[in-house]
This record gives sequence, structure tokens and C-alpha cells, in this order.
Amino acid sequence: METTTAPTETVGESKTLVRGNALEKTYGSRLPLGRSTPVLTGADIEVRAGEIVGIVGENGSGKSTLMKILVGVLDHDVGTVERTGTVGWCPQEPLLYDRLTVSETFRLFGAGYGMSREEIDAAKRRLADELDFERYLDYRVDQLSGGNRQKVNLSIALMHDPDVLMLDEPYTGFDWETYLRFWDMAQDLANDGTAVVMISHLIEERSRLDRVFEVRDGLVHDVTDEETESGLRSDPEGEHE
Amino acid sequence: MNRFVVGVRANLQTFVRTPLNVVLALVLPLVVIEGWGQAMAGLPSMPTVEGIPLDLGRLLGAIFGVAIIAGLMGLVQMISAREADRRLVQTGYAPRTLLATRLATLAGVTIVVAGVNFGVLWLTIDVEAPLFVFAFLALAGVVYAFLGALVGAVLPRLFEGSLVVVFLAMMDAFLSGDSPLAADVPDFVQYFPLYHPKELLQSAVFDGTFAAGDLAFVGGYLLVLLVLVTAVFGATMRTAGGWSA
Repeated sequence: METTTAPTETVGESKTLVRGNALEKTYGSRLPLGRSTPVLTGADIEVRAGEIVGIVGENGSGKSTLMKILVGVLDHDVGTVERTGTVGWCPQEPLLYDRLTVSETFRLFGAGYGMSREEIDAAKRRLADELDFERYLDYRVDQLSGGNRQKVNLSIALMHDPDVLMLDEPYTGFDWETYLRFWDMAQDLANDGTAVVMISHLIEERSRLDRVFEVRDGLVHDVTDEETESGLRSDPEGEHE
Repeated sequence: MNRFVVGVRANLQTFVRTPLNVVLALVLPLVVIEGWGQAMAGLPSMPTVEGIPLDLGRLLGAIFGVAIIAGLMGLVQMISAREADRRLVQTGYAPRTLLATRLATLAGVTIVVAGVNFGVLWLTIDVEAPLFVFAFLALAGVVYAFLGALVGAVLPRLFEGSLVVVFLAMMDAFLSGDSPLAADVPDFVQYFPLYHPKELLQSAVFDGTFAAGDLAFVGGYLLVLLVLVTAVFGATMRTAGGWSA
């Protein structure tokens, strides 16, 4: 396993910010006779600055596994990952501290990102305004609705203006207006040079994506110009894999 | 912003917003101290046992009360937010910093719990050296808080981990104490987490003194626990964990 933060080359006008080469991952069992499950068997992917990339695939195909490996929260068995710049990660399930308020959550994760108090407050105000959750800033996370919790989950990934944004079905629970606002934000970020990588299940999103990768049989296929066999279904509640 | 300070504050906020924690910390000492006292009051005095059974029971109840609360707090601190912790590490928190915030919070809350236990003990029996008694109760609590954290890091399941901590604390307090029912205990009991803190506490309560050897042993015990919990927590925060695919 190898992970580096070395800058990679420029393709056309866009710099490659994330690259995974020949990634392999097998989930093993801790029990002696347990089954091991190979998920990735040589996946290659690269993401460039300023593009919105969709990752699609059947349930259990390895989309979330691939994303976690690219983010750096899951080890891979074989292959290399190169990352340039900062990464923001929005996991599918909000991984937050239930008993903290939204403001305290910003403070805690902002400290993790190395932000100053002023930067954290500014990011909190900006994102609360954009995603419309200002009135919940003093609510505890466990008192929020699913949609508002997801807004906070997304905001934590965005608050430090990352160079690469990795989103695992970030709109789960969003109402229609928030969903549209989210896409505007994603487009603005991409226009500013942020690479946005998103696990997606919605066929309506196809036109918003610059490139589409399908995870199938442990490999990553560029299906930007083809119909995918399984991805991009009308399945807004796409089952967690 | 200082990650350590922000982390400790967040841990404390989480703790006080869990009402059961606060109730347990305040109510359990009364119940346990008096319960142990009355349980032992019915036993005969033994020539080899220092103190009358009622007082000895209350003393053991106090040390058990601190240990069990601190141990369970340590366990819960490590288990309750394991996945969120991994995300926090991804943002830039070093696992050691995160662990330091947890242990500092545990130590702080344990001192408060020890204070409550000390207060109850002071009201119910004559205490020769109150400051030492408080300090040794806190020390016993910190040992168990770190032990609970270690159990939580190794066995990240609330039910099973709680069973381990509760069973260990009960057995420990019983065998480490001078109960007439456990007079002939094997030599290895002196390596139990509460054995030397209990010796320190008993001397401080009845004689107003303590043995430096016991204190050094407890210090060493804490150091070993610290090394172990740091190693295990660091390993669990590494990225090879069992995330779902």
C-alpha cells in the first residue's frame, strides 16, 4: 500500500488532484473460517481540478470503498493513491457527535482543519446561510431532522474550502430546493477549481457531471460517453453499500 | 484554535449533556458506600483486619464506587463516538491529541466523582488524613478510567465492555479489600488495579499515612495503562479498520 501527497501533472488546463492506481481491496474476516470479500481488484481513477465527477455502480460494487480509499480513511491492500491539496469528505452517514450543537460541531471540526476562530465563524455563517440552517445553529445534532443533519454533514466537508471534495450521496434527505442549491454550490466550487467527486444514484444528475465512472467487477470504468449498465438509476434512496 | 482545548471542551459538553452520567456520578456513591458498609457490618471482626467491618465496608464501597463509575465512563468515551472520531482524525486531529483530550476529560470528571465519594465517606466515618483520602480515591478512579478506556479500545461493544468493567471492578474491590470473606487471597491479587490504591486509601483513612511503595506501584500501573491505551487507540484510528464496503 502506498499513499503520497506528491503533486501530479497537468492534463490540458486542469491539474490532476487525486489519482488512484491499481487499487485492490479485500475485506477479510477476523474469524478463521470467515469469508473474505474482494471489492476492488485493480481500480484506476484520476480526478482533475475544476471537474465534477460521478461514481456510480450497483449496490455493493465498491463505490464507498473506493471513495474512502481516495479520501485516506481506509487502507488499500495494493496500489497507490496520490493526493494534492486539502480534502473535504462527506460520508453517507453523518459521522458527527450527537450531543454537540451545530456551532460546537463547526468549532471542533474547524480546529481539526487548523482554522482560526474567525475562519470557523465565517464558514459557519456562510454555509448556514447557503444551506438554510441558521436557526438550528444552537440545536444539538441529535435534535436535528435527517435533512438538517445532512446539511451539517455536508457543511463540515466544505467549511475549509478544500481542493478536493468527496461526497458520498450528500443530498440524502434534502428537500428539492436544498437539492438544487446544493448543485449550484457544487458548480460554483468546480468553477473555482475544486474537484468534486460524488457517489450518485440519480439519473437526473447525469447532465451535471463532467465525467462518470462506474465501479464494476472490482474495476473503474469511464462511462462518461456510454449508458451505464447499473448506475444512475432513479434511486434517490440508494442503498448504502 | 487549540485542538486539545477544543476537544476537551467538546468532551465535557458531551458528558454533562448525558443526564444518566451526572445522576450516576452523584447518586451511586451514596448507594454503594452505604450498601457495602451495611453488607460488611453483619460480618464478624477478624483479628487480622484493620478497622470495624462497617467502616471498612464503606471504605471499600467508596473505592469501588469511584472505580466503577470511572471505568464505565472510560469505556463509553472510547466506544460512543468511534466512527465520528475517525472522521475527526481525517480532518487533522492526531490520534494522540484526540486520545489526550479523552483522557484529560476522564481524569477531570473522575476527580469530581472522587470528590463526591470522598464527601460521603467523610460524613460517614472518621478520616485521619482527608486530603490523602481524596487524592487516593481520585487515583483509584483514574486507574479505572484508563482501564475502561483500554477495554473500550480493545472491545468496542457497550454491553460486552460494560460486563468486563463491572465484573473486573467487583472482583477487584472484593479481593483487594480486607473482607473477612476474602482473607486468604492468592498473591497475584496484589497486581489487581485496586489493590495498591486500596492500601493507600486504607492507611490514609485509619492511620493518616501511606507507603511510598504503594504510590510508586500505582504510578507505574498508570504508565503501563497509558502506553497500552495509546497503542490500541492509535491502531484503531488507523485506516485499516472494518468499515463497511
